[in-house]
Amino acid sequence: MVLDRSPRLDLVFHALAHPARRAIIRQLSGGERNLSELAAPLKMTFPAATKHVRVLEHAKLVRRRVAGRQHFCRLEAAPLKEATLWTESFRQHWEARFTALDSLLDEMKSEEQAPSRRT
Amino acid sequence: MNTNSAQGLQISTPTDTTIVLTRTFNAPRRLVWEAMFTPDKMRRWMLPPPGWTIVTCECDARVGGTLSVAWKSDEANPAMTLRGEFTEVALLEYAVHTEVMALGSGQTIGSLLERHEFADKGSFTAMNITQTYASKEDRDGALASGMDQGMEACYQKLEALLA
Repeated sequence: MVLDRSPRLDLVFHALAHPARRAIIRQLSGGERNLSELAAPLKMTFPAATKHVRVLEHAKLVRRRVAGRQHFCRLEAAPLKEATLWTESFRQHWEARFTALDSLLDEMKSEEQAPSRRT
Repeated sequence: MNTNSAQGLQISTPTDTTIVLTRTFNAPRRLVWEAMFTPDKMRRWMLPPPGWTIVTCECDARVGGTLSVAWKSDEANPAMTLRGEFTEVALLEYAVHTEVMALGSGQTIGSLLERHEFADKGSFTAMNITQTYASKEDRDGALASGMDQGMEACYQKLEALLA
């Protein structure tokens, strides 16, 4: 499967593997923010926050736009979609198994309650 | 918090080599255990991929007991097997078994250690499955499995989720 070897996906997961960067993504899910707005709640220096934004940019999770002296960032949802999709099929596989288990257990319970109906 | 209710599937990856699945079932622990480890019951939930059928299913959930499942494909030759051995068992409490997946040719395609834990949640049962893989690559590979199946369905769900 092509996604098993995806350098792009490696970048996305690397980018997501830091709480500060996930916090930035959460902030950006509310809309475009400038760099100082992003840095403020992170309780880190401006250069440190900028470094995290750069990692997100590199993974194409964030796009930066410069307007005068302001740097505005916004979220790019597509790579995030791919990352979610990657684990979604594993979840669906187990959801399906457990849903089958639910009905099996229901059957087993009613068989216990009405043993005379068993053949 | 109401503990006496069904809880949906939770999947987490607490370490680089593990996947933990947690789910509650509306049945007593005894029945969940029976459904998990009795061959004729296992056949009901071990849903094979489309076009595949389970041809063998054996399970002896005692220390040293074995687990053996084989599938075959509708198309010509391909077959797949899962073999394991129970290494730790406390009846109705927990069971640990190894698991080796192989192709019909005998080529191993993956192995892991699976630990099942069962706990009462009121009249419900909580089951925890911890899968431990040999490496992060193997773990990630397992998470990505089934990627090509149900892709379209996933996309549709995601479109709605992330719109």
